[in-house]
Amino acid sequence: MNLLEIKNLKAKIGDTEILHGIDLTINRGEVHAIMGPNGSGKSTLSYVLSGRDGYEVTEGEILLDGESVLDMEADERARAGMFLAFQYPVELPGVGGMSFLRAAVNARLREKGEDEVDQLAFVKMVRAKAKDLGVGDEMLKRAVNVGFSGGEKKRYEILQMALLEPTMAVLDETDSGLDVDALRIVSEGVNALRGDTRGMLVITHYQRLLSHIVPDYVHILAGGRIIKSGDKSLALEVENNGYAGIIDAA
Amino acid sequence: MQPNLLRDTANLCIQARQAFDANGLPAAKNEAWIYTRLQDVTVNPSFAGDETSDNESGVLTFAAGWLQSGAQNLPTSVTVSEMTDDSVLAEFAAHLPEDHFLGSLSLGHATGAYLIEVPANAKLDTPLQLVFNGGDEGESSHPLLFIKVGAGAQFQMAEIHSGTASLSAPVIVVEAGAGAVIDHVKLQAEDATATHLALSIFAVAEKADINSFTAAIGSRLGRHETHAHLNGEEIEMALSSLYLGRDKQHQDITTRMLHHMPNCTSNQIIRGVLDDTAKGVFQGKVLVARDAQKTDGQQMSRALLLSRQAEADAKPELEIYADDVVCSHGATVGELDETHLFYLKSRGIAEDDAKNMLIEAFLIDALEQVRHDTLAEILSHAVHGWMAEGA
Repeated sequence: MNLLEIKNLKAKIGDTEILHGIDLTINRGEVHAIMGPNGSGKSTLSYVLSGRDGYEVTEGEILLDGESVLDMEADERARAGMFLAFQYPVELPGVGGMSFLRAAVNARLREKGEDEVDQLAFVKMVRAKAKDLGVGDEMLKRAVNVGFSGGEKKRYEILQMALLEPTMAVLDETDSGLDVDALRIVSEGVNALRGDTRGMLVITHYQRLLSHIVPDYVHILAGGRIIKSGDKSLALEVENNGYAGIIDAA
Repeated sequence: MQPNLLRDTANLCIQARQAFDANGLPAAKNEAWIYTRLQDVTVNPSFAGDETSDNESGVLTFAAGWLQSGAQNLPTSVTVSEMTDDSVLAEFAAHLPEDHFLGSLSLGHATGAYLIEVPANAKLDTPLQLVFNGGDEGESSHPLLFIKVGAGAQFQMAEIHSGTASLSAPVIVVEAGAGAVIDHVKLQAEDATATHLALSIFAVAEKADINSFTAAIGSRLGRHETHAHLNGEEIEMALSSLYLGRDKQHQDITTRMLHHMPNCTSNQIIRGVLDDTAKGVFQGKVLVARDAQKTDGQQMSRALLLSRQAEADAKPELEIYADDVVCSHGATVGELDETHLFYLKSRGIAEDDAKNMLIEAFLIDALEQVRHDTLAEILSHAVHGWMAEGA
């Protein structure tokens, strides 16, 4: 069965239709990239997939493991295996990082019918995964994303992904605001999570992320439609010729 | 048979009752009661006896305003006695603001009246718990408490109100001696039918360090009016609060921080969370007298509305007669941030749990004011209980 199936998806914000009919199928083990110029609907697609309020699906279908997610709230989708790494991770003053991570992990475990993890075991588990991502103890003790640099916020997103072990991960502009070193660390973190059980959708404006996280498929999103699909060489075409040529040709 | 009750024998009480009968409830134009209008209160003081017996150490229990148990089992050096002596009662009453509705009401209808004394330099580290069960529906309770904490003493107390009384109206005076260190948490968790009208006075001497916190969670209508008189220099006074309301609850926190002397610091952090059609009121006045130079007076109130029908009113006031002071106040009213909620939900956290995490985060600045562990636990337990009821 396909992991994620997006069929003729149309969505609007308020009265403005942003997505004009998107078709995309992702299987387990595949990494797809969606590239597109600003305003093409990339972030809208990520929010529609994750179930953010205010984004109304007017037509089409989103199936995760064959089940429609359209009637599911954002939290239900997350527990069903959907994960969104935010372009701009949200600061939550007063919400302790560890209790946040634990609440998220336990919610996912409960959904899977597994036992919740106790505090001690959880701290061990977080520390081990955090170390690989260069997330130090000091960061873990702080309130969620509060006082984190841009790079730290992105690493913290990937840490959450590593802890939640989603089946379908959507990474929205994960490269934005990262310097070369941070980009490498984050990409390594993402690559470590690639595998047969998981699909990924990497949304980006630039090709540079895709030389670190090498996709199996590349799709060009423009004007709320996928206008071209190909393999990783399509990303290089964008890098060399810009979006204009592809959009004009479509 | 009822014995001779204080309210019928002490001149001060009789006069106060006459004043209450003459003046009645605060008039509609009374500025201090603009946001909290009292249509009607049940004044029916009961007599629950004052049989005292032993119970858990460090817990004084009161029913309908009468001490029931605990007097024999107090922490070392703390004593409790009835305020039958006219001179003690006069000393107590002298701390009350003149012509104050709540003072007249409860002095005039006093149920139990007790003096708690903590001698100078006594060092306690376990809070004394004052547990008030307001009494039955249709009854009112009017406990008077005079708490004298001697110079240099360290004292902690939890004041816990519960029950179904139609009105509980405690009047409490805390006299803090020079250099005393006092931690106080008041938890008002009465039944949703109750009315709670409280007047608390802190009379503070030099170099004392007072940390008082009020949590208004229960009752249908609650008014917590606290006056802090900083009567000496170098006092540190924290007077913080939280109020939580849902359904038709009305919570009113009113404070008067009175800097009479120089070089004192006061800090007030107020947080309110209101759901449904609940209403919250914060009125806070910081008064700095002409002589109170080098005063540092801070006050910040924030309210979080969980429903469009909830209402928060804030009336912060600074009245400053000195010229070398640092004072500030601020008040905000807001709602939960949709982006915060979405972030939590996108991690699989259910909406109610996510909301509660954000409510707790909102309250944390206030909750962290409480510095004694046991008192913080009492408070935390009550706040979590409130959130669990809403989920």
